[in-house]
Amino acid sequence: MGDPVFVTNSPRVTPRWSRYLLAVTEWVVAVRGLRMAYGSVVVLQDIDLAVGAGEIVAVTGVNGVGKSTLLSCLAGFRRAAAGTVTVLGGPPRDNSAFWRQVAHVADQPTWYPGLSVRELLELVRMTHEPVTGWCLPADELIEVFGLTERADASPLAMSSGQRQRLSLAAALARPSRLLLLDEPEQSLDAGFRRELARLLRTEYAANGGTVIMATHDHEFAVSAQARVIQLSDGRIIPETADQS
Amino acid sequence: MTTVAAAAPSVRAVRAFIGKRSRRGFLEWYGIGFALVIAAIYLSDVLEKPLSRLSGAGSVGSAAGQAGAQAATQAVTGAGLVIGAAAGLLLLAQALGPLALSPADASWLLLSPLDRRAVLRRSAAAAAAVPAAAGALLGVLALAMAGPYLRPAGGSLPASWLLLSAVAGAGLCAAAVAAEVLAQPERGSLARGCCAILALIALAGAVAGQASPTVSHAITTGFGGLSTSTFGLAAVVALVLAVAAWIGAWRLLPHFPAGVLRTDSARAGRALMAAAFLNVQLLTWLAEDDHWRSRLLPSRPWPKLPPALALAWADWRRLSRRPGTLAVLAVSTVVPALAGAAITGRQHGLVVAAVLLAGGLAAGTQGTTASKRDLNDPALRRMLGVDAEPALAARAVLPALLSMAWLGLSFTVLAADGELPGWWWPLLGLVAGPALAAAALRVARTAPVNPADRGFDTPMGTVYPWMLTRLISVIFAVIAAYPALSAVRHGQLTGRTFAEQVLFSAVILVGYVKISSSMSASLEAPEAP
Repeated sequence: MGDPVFVTNSPRVTPRWSRYLLAVTEWVVAVRGLRMAYGSVVVLQDIDLAVGAGEIVAVTGVNGVGKSTLLSCLAGFRRAAAGTVTVLGGPPRDNSAFWRQVAHVADQPTWYPGLSVRELLELVRMTHEPVTGWCLPADELIEVFGLTERADASPLAMSSGQRQRLSLAAALARPSRLLLLDEPEQSLDAGFRRELARLLRTEYAANGGTVIMATHDHEFAVSAQARVIQLSDGRIIPETADQS
Repeated sequence: MTTVAAAAPSVRAVRAFIGKRSRRGFLEWYGIGFALVIAAIYLSDVLEKPLSRLSGAGSVGSAAGQAGAQAATQAVTGAGLVIGAAAGLLLLAQALGPLALSPADASWLLLSPLDRRAVLRRSAAAAAAVPAAAGALLGVLALAMAGPYLRPAGGSLPASWLLLSAVAGAGLCAAAVAAEVLAQPERGSLARGCCAILALIALAGAVAGQASPTVSHAITTGFGGLSTSTFGLAAVVALVLAVAAWIGAWRLLPHFPAGVLRTDSARAGRALMAAAFLNVQLLTWLAEDDHWRSRLLPSRPWPKLPPALALAWADWRRLSRRPGTLAVLAVSTVVPALAGAAITGRQHGLVVAAVLLAGGLAAGTQGTTASKRDLNDPALRRMLGVDAEPALAARAVLPALLSMAWLGLSFTVLAADGELPGWWWPLLGLVAGPALAAAALRVARTAPVNPADRGFDTPMGTVYPWMLTRLISVIFAVIAAYPALSAVRHGQLTGRTFAEQVLFSAVILVGYVKISSSMSASLEAPEAP
């Protein structure tokens, strides 16, 4: 394994410059030499990654390659076996201040049986008060995510695609600086995937938010103008001139 | 852009917001109340006999005189079983968390700026209160088991002993669960190992007490030396341990790792749902997923067997990979005899029959995990060119063998005690196995719960279709093993009973395989153009 590869917005930047940039820029996420294992099963190794503010990064790779595990490490759910993970200037701290700035959307959540779509979004907003930063109010989210006709329905009575829309809407109902999305395209129709990509690019990232998502949908990643990072055998495949 | 300045939310306000919209209706409360009353009636029926020993604890002389060898055995076996039950409950608590949020709270309140301790307060209270209540009951039961051998100064068992036993039991269980909470973030296996060892020691003690009058006598002599101060000391020590452990746990709550809580809460929610819905596949998947996530699953070549048996090979392979399951099943074959000895003092009766039914069914389900696969996705079966009936017949072999082995061993232990004499009883267990295997297959192959199914209101509360299908599985098991269960209940085995059970087992297993496979085949049949 050669020098670690730090990939930035510009594919032409060399690793040497990247290292320099890492030293002088405040990265939202900086990962160095990350190694992660479940017991004897090594899932990630030699992961180096730096992501700046306002950037969208799509992590791709085959099933079981470690995409979700990487997001779990960034969220602080799993401890790295080796290497360092820095999120918003420090290790993932799993405290109030951290979760005020980081939103995480992974598996399908469990819903409160008594809460409607609108009430759930109000609840998310309520748990993050005082709300200071970019986010969308519940009514606007309901409209943007195509849930107007189901606004007063229970999520339990909705389709899996509508529930996925609601999960994503909930992540934008509160302010955050970093959005971690695990396969956000799941159950979404092609049209709404494009709409979601536009929303992430022109609204969330444009307002300074950073998105790191694990995805299998290359077209979705391209629509979001995301920097694509491919994982293979638990390692990041170095970007080549052809890829860039 | 939205900027609203407001005070930081309190968890109380958030819970009030949720609670206001999630109030249970009158019918729901009625249903819960009804279920609790029914459960209390059945529980009191089971506990009546052991607890009656509390009032039967007479004076020193009469107790020593009346209590014969059988009573001594009963006291020691009962005490062993109570300790074993406590260890089992602690193992269960550890498997379920022990500190876990409701899945919805874990989804929406955990990864937020809310105060972690305030979010976890309810769960911590439940993790303290439930083991304390169970521990208090077990403490009283332990006292009841030793009842005839206790020699209080006044002759009759003082209320203070009862209270102190309950406090000691509650304190010890609460302290143990708090210790599990403290160990939860590290995911160590020490707590699990300690509970398993305690359960094994208790079972070994109970078996020794049952088998050897000398051991029983030595232990019951020890019971006679107990005094109010002993009980008081035990209660104080237990309370101090519980308070110290829970102070540590309370201090841990603000920093309790979200990752551990998310995983454990999701697993606990799924496990409770799977247990309530008798979803064997989901329970097995939870256990297997937890085990294999950190291990490498070695591949094996496809077996050189006839296609139908090769299809069923997955369950054989799964069991052989986890020999611990077989070991637990083997050890648990002593439970019917111990339960009979401890609760009723007899090796037959309704209690023994119920334990045999539950055990035989549980043993059979260990071999049915992949049987539903042919229903959900028959692609593999079709690829191997196997029809539905031979596939199900091949899948029935393992559960039948497991149920036969478990019942055979259990009956052997029961017969060894002498009250159910002769070797016909173990043979009865062997022939009843296939009947319970059919019931285990039915449990495993029952359709999943459809949340869209609407229930119908009855005087017992709302009854959903899934409740009926699960209840039918249990009734099916009772009917399938009726001759054997009836013989155990009355303690009499005749040639006719034996012949009846052979007939029941053959007809029910063959009938189930034929009918169930033809139904699943008809569901797969392509529609006419």
